[in-house]
Amino acid sequence: MNKPDLMSSHLTSRKLYAVRNFVLALLAAPTLAFAAAVPGEKAPDFSEVDAAGKSHRLADYRGQWLVLEWFNKDCPYVKKHYGSGNMQALQEKYTSRDINWLTVISSSKGKQGYLEPAQALEVAESHDLNASAPFLLDVDGSMGRAYGAKTTPHMFIINPEGQVVYAGAIDDNDSANPAVIADSANYVAAALDASMAGNAVAVASSRAYGCSVKY
Amino acid sequence: MGAQETASGDHVRVRWLAPQQMGASAETLGFYFEVDPGWHVYWRNAGDSGAAPRFDISGNGDVGKILWPYPERLPIEHLTNLGYAGNVAYLFDVTARMETLELAVNLEWLVCKVDCIPGFGSLTLSRPAGGGNSGSESRWNQDDLTLRNHFLARVPQPSGQSPWQVERLTRRGDLLRLSLRNTSGRHRDGQPSVFPLDGELLQASQPTLEIDGDRVHFTFSKVPGAPAAEATGFVVVDEGSAWQFDAIPIVAAPVVTAVLEEETQSFWLLVLAAFAGGVILNLMPCVFPVLSIKLFGLIDQGSGSRVKEGLLYSAGVLATFAILGGLLMVLRAGGAAVGWGFQLQSPSVVLGLIVLFWLMALSFSGVFEFGHRLMLVAGHSRGGSFVTGVLAVFVAAPCTGPFMGAALGAAAVMPAVYAMVIFLGLGAGLAAPFLLLCASPALLHRLPKPGPWMDRVRQLLAFPLYATVIWLLWVLGRMLGDTGWVIGTVLMLGLGFALWIGTSFSGSRRAKFAGYVMALLVLFTGFGTLSVPQRDALQGSPELLSGWQPFDAAAIAQARAENRAVFIDYTAAWCITCQVNKKLVLDTAPVQNMFHENDVLLIRADWTNQDSEITAALAELGRNSVPVYAWYAPGASTPELLPQILQERMIAALFE
Repeated sequence: MNKPDLMSSHLTSRKLYAVRNFVLALLAAPTLAFAAAVPGEKAPDFSEVDAAGKSHRLADYRGQWLVLEWFNKDCPYVKKHYGSGNMQALQEKYTSRDINWLTVISSSKGKQGYLEPAQALEVAESHDLNASAPFLLDVDGSMGRAYGAKTTPHMFIINPEGQVVYAGAIDDNDSANPAVIADSANYVAAALDASMAGNAVAVASSRAYGCSVKY
Repeated sequence: MGAQETASGDHVRVRWLAPQQMGASAETLGFYFEVDPGWHVYWRNAGDSGAAPRFDISGNGDVGKILWPYPERLPIEHLTNLGYAGNVAYLFDVTARMETLELAVNLEWLVCKVDCIPGFGSLTLSRPAGGGNSGSESRWNQDDLTLRNHFLARVPQPSGQSPWQVERLTRRGDLLRLSLRNTSGRHRDGQPSVFPLDGELLQASQPTLEIDGDRVHFTFSKVPGAPAAEATGFVVVDEGSAWQFDAIPIVAAPVVTAVLEEETQSFWLLVLAAFAGGVILNLMPCVFPVLSIKLFGLIDQGSGSRVKEGLLYSAGVLATFAILGGLLMVLRAGGAAVGWGFQLQSPSVVLGLIVLFWLMALSFSGVFEFGHRLMLVAGHSRGGSFVTGVLAVFVAAPCTGPFMGAALGAAAVMPAVYAMVIFLGLGAGLAAPFLLLCASPALLHRLPKPGPWMDRVRQLLAFPLYATVIWLLWVLGRMLGDTGWVIGTVLMLGLGFALWIGTSFSGSRRAKFAGYVMALLVLFTGFGTLSVPQRDALQGSPELLSGWQPFDAAAIAQARAENRAVFIDYTAAWCITCQVNKKLVLDTAPVQNMFHENDVLLIRADWTNQDSEITAALAELGRNSVPVYAWYAPGASTPELLPQILQERMIAALFE
């Protein structure tokens, strides 16, 4: 129970470490409620079923690049990027380079943007979705909350080591007008290009703009 | 008014607020947004979602920036938006340059309830200009003028006019704390509201509020992953007026000069922290043996005066804290540079504790009967409980657990009365669990009945005491070098022999006498050798990893002048938190690599012995206990203090 042989006894230091962690957890409790995917830290785990019934877990993508995108077909900002073809072009560009891209719907039943699996398949079709899977249906919002997804669209990039590389808006212009896309700096493309080339990401976090996720 | 003077979209109608004729000088015009009930539009920082309206104004006048009336917080499900529930006017100054002012504007806005609808529109304005400035109000439609003035009054004014002035903006990890002070000289009924200007940096949700006299502190959460900023701005709103503070420098907290004031402000929080620290001290290994002795005494005693025992123990704890606190105050007043844990900087005290715990351990093991008498002191009698309390404090002191550092640091610089309350708070925390055990019948009923098993328990309890002796020998070794533990162990050997002599020839008074004499001789010699200077082995502690250098103020100053990063580990052999941090974080290969790759000057300020230079350096940081981890980023003017419980990622975060 005592510390004298702390330096030599793993058991003792482990116990102390447990006490430390307990205290840390106590101190951290208020902030834990606002879990979020934070650039530079480990990506939160998830396990969701897509519209086709296939399940996806974070662990499935270990060793690979993964982009997460939050979606709500009725949100004007989602329409901005889908109506213009901007989002699909990004999806195509990066999935063709063996990057995984998952588009997530966290709208709960009865809220704007909620889709039954069959509807989701139709929307994927009508929106020319180029993601790696048909929409992930996060009906209970667990994945969205774990990531702290606030808006649609809200973008996250996870590297092969499972760390968040980018979290935030898709680009630097929060106008709802599709005409501004051509002159906007795309944060997701920039972060992917830079980090895949082994460089530092210039903007790793930004205020996600758009509609609130309808948990 | 022509059709081009209005625009509309779902749930929103927009029109100009403008006079019939422009004067010669600047005039404030506006876009009046009439918004359906339940819907809202946004401020310049829209908050967690949403978007501010956009105004693309062209024309022949000199057009100023958009003036944003102060917003309100709009909780929308799990998010907080900053905007306006209902009608609002966005204003701007314009000066006509031609005979006719011609303006055209493209508008984009977002209107939301829970769902959001973007709107687009364009407006034009054409007004004769060049009228005199006299009677400018008469050139307005009265209703429009009232509306304009209503919202103009809500536009933030320059910060200099504010009754609230910024004292400090400090960063603690992912929190930013804005401290405002009421400088108006009159009491203000409510607290101001504060809105961050930068939504990329700070979350829009209501900051936590602390009130302290004429000061108010707001703590905001950073957007996760947002890069650290050097400065940021806020709008402060109070009693219907608003003021804008731009680019307030962000300082890392706790900052040297900030400690006194800031810690005084949250005084009761500190007392609470001290109490919690005291409770946690019970878990610390250096307190545990004493408590186990006392617990043993309680079991042995059976029913009866447990509450009294608990109260006596608490009294012992509190009295000792009061005395130690008073002593610290006196020494502080006398200008002596001392710190908490100072009593363990004396080898004699450590040696004394070795003797005490060694004898207790031997008695617990059943080597001699004197233990029962010691148990009387430490366990049975009323005086015993009191003494146990005293003992608990004495050995607990170096275990500066979480909470304790800040509380004691503050105590060292605060007015004496406050410092004393903090000391007593610590004491109350240390005593509380024990008192609870004594007072609660439910807990007491769970205590097993006395029986033969107690002997075994007593023997078992000897082992923590042996372990404590080993630890204290190690501390003594760190203090005096090799001779330290030789002195300690020889003293133990001598005492053991004296006990054997004194107890083995039963009934012989002479043997007992010889034992006493011998014990005294051994003790006298043992402590005597301590007075001979033994400090040679101290400095080049073999344990230092190659990366660490001993404390050297000149080297630190030079490295900082060269914009080289410096990491200082204020540590001591008797500080358990320090050792755990060292073993689990600081001296691990990944952390050492990180330090090495970033060319960090690593300083290990070893405070095991009294060292006035290190004591002074700690005082400068507002601390007088260890561990303290000070990080000077390259070129930084002030150090960042890391938490007392280190984690590898905290070190990694320094290099991001």
